[in-house]
Amino acid sequence: MDVLLKVDNLKTVFDTEDGVARVVDGVSFEVGHGETVGLVGESGCGKSVTALSIMRLVQDPPGRIAGGSVLFNGRDLLTIPEREMRKVRGNEISIVFQEPLTSLNPVFTCGEQVREAIALHQKLGRRESKRKAVEMFRLVRIPDPELRYRSYPHQMSGGMRQRVMIAMALSCQPKLLIADEPSTALDVSVQAQIMDLLLELKEKLGMAVLLITHNLAVVAQMVERVLVMYAGVVVEEAPVGGLFAEPLHPYTEGLLESLPKLGAPAGRLSMIPGNVPDPLNLPPGCRFSDRCPRRFDRCLSGEPPMFTVGRRRASRCWLREGGG
Amino acid sequence: MTALTDSGGNEPRGLWSAGWSRFRKNRFAVAGAVIVLSLYIVAILAPLLTPHDPIAHGDLPKTRYLSPRTGHPLGTDKFGRDVLARVLYGSRISLTISFLAVAISVIAGSLVGATAGYAGGIVDTVLMRIVDALMAIPRLFLLLTCIALFSRSVPLIIILLGATGWMATARLVRGQVLAIREQDFIKAAEALGAGRRRIMLRHLLPNTLTVIIVAATLRIGGIILAEASLSFLGLGVPSPIPSWGQMVFGGRDALLDAWWVSTFPGIAIAVTVIGYNLFGDGLRDAFDPKQGA
Repeated sequence: MDVLLKVDNLKTVFDTEDGVARVVDGVSFEVGHGETVGLVGESGCGKSVTALSIMRLVQDPPGRIAGGSVLFNGRDLLTIPEREMRKVRGNEISIVFQEPLTSLNPVFTCGEQVREAIALHQKLGRRESKRKAVEMFRLVRIPDPELRYRSYPHQMSGGMRQRVMIAMALSCQPKLLIADEPSTALDVSVQAQIMDLLLELKEKLGMAVLLITHNLAVVAQMVERVLVMYAGVVVEEAPVGGLFAEPLHPYTEGLLESLPKLGAPAGRLSMIPGNVPDPLNLPPGCRFSDRCPRRFDRCLSGEPPMFTVGRRRASRCWLREGGG
Repeated sequence: MTALTDSGGNEPRGLWSAGWSRFRKNRFAVAGAVIVLSLYIVAILAPLLTPHDPIAHGDLPKTRYLSPRTGHPLGTDKFGRDVLARVLYGSRISLTISFLAVAISVIAGSLVGATAGYAGGIVDTVLMRIVDALMAIPRLFLLLTCIALFSRSVPLIIILLGATGWMATARLVRGQVLAIREQDFIKAAEALGAGRRRIMLRHLLPNTLTVIIVAATLRIGGIILAEASLSFLGLGVPSPIPSWGQMVFGGRDALLDAWWVSTFPGIAIAVTVIGYNLFGDGLRDAFDPKQGA
């Protein structure tokens, strides 16, 4: 598969009063044309910051991208001028955020905002862009698109607002959509609808999707390949089937075991002991060592690199040294 | 305001119509609006409301200091001019000066405040220290110095009152912008490829607009008073252009014998300021962002 996005050794740090927090600390991965990749991890593991770094939207100060490269269609987004980057945002790469309730400007109608997103990147007259915006409303299945075009954000439910956000994100047919917990803030039934919509639009428009979530169940149905992030690094990479069948990193194992299972005897869910380490105060050696049930000497003395396992898998665990 | 359901066929209702319906229910606000509106109508229709010329001298000394009577319902002044005519025409100058001066200060203040708030960092620091420094200069002293340096004229007074009033707006708008720029829709707009100028003009300023309008309306009263004070000191609008402050000033010699010369323009000033303040308070209550839309 042709590579669309290649993130290589991306490092994003935040300057805090207590020192430099390395929130994204050498993340590397690829997304192919039309591929759906899941980026999974607990809150605070750096997955959203990774997404913002790709878009160059990390608030600076306090944050800054300290190293690495983000090749999009072979062009390094981290070195192009801001003006060029603006043409990429919303046009070639779009992002849908977690909070549909606050992601729309309260003083303009939803339709006007979608129309503006279109007009930003396409030279269309007012009438043309408006027609296209209504079309986008229809595409994301907003009922009564002509009327909803004139609605203000506060007159719509969370699910409808997220549809508007998706309409805005897709209005210029981006090659890559980053969906950052797009359904987390919504009711469970609406979550499923939004996910189905994303899947359907992905098929229809043929774009690649980087889906960021902490929800492994969502990942299982949506994506082809999974990246598991922990404390600012990718710890495991696997096709989705393989990940669920045989996790290769103790952290992934822990995540899967903490999922409720159908048919399993009732009782307490298992959990990973301890907390995600503070990025200012990472444990020596492997970042997961202080919570890992399979820790051995090696884990404390040095940080493991990504070990390739088989053809399409990799794990950042000393147990997998030599591809085992 | 209640949230609508997705399926509902309700006509969308905007921020403005929601605010307007709150405004209408407030009796003081409506009274203020009526006063302000009437003043503008009076200013425009002044020639139709009085047969007298506000500037040309009367038939002296026969018509000097006539008390209120038929033909001169508010009496005449030292030069035999009809006080009613001068009060009516005086509204033109007061409203023009206050409107334009506030417009200047609000536009300048909003741009400076929004730039400082959105850019942050060194730009913010420099701009706000300039604001602090300018605010430390006593306004009246600055006005008097400038008027002494240049020749007295209406445009000069507008520019001076506008140029000395933008700092408070800048602070207000900066504070608003600091709060709004942290909101998700700003990041969402950036993620769609909007540039800095578009973010500022399309996303930040429109969201501070209600606050700006309210502040501007409340400030107009203050500007009218400032203009009147300058004119009262004999440093404002040059005679014979009728201005309320200058009329109060002109009548002070004969206050005991011809009380009407100073009193009626004084009442006009008070009514105008009260009207604007009621109007501004009403707008604030109707559009206060804390009430949410």
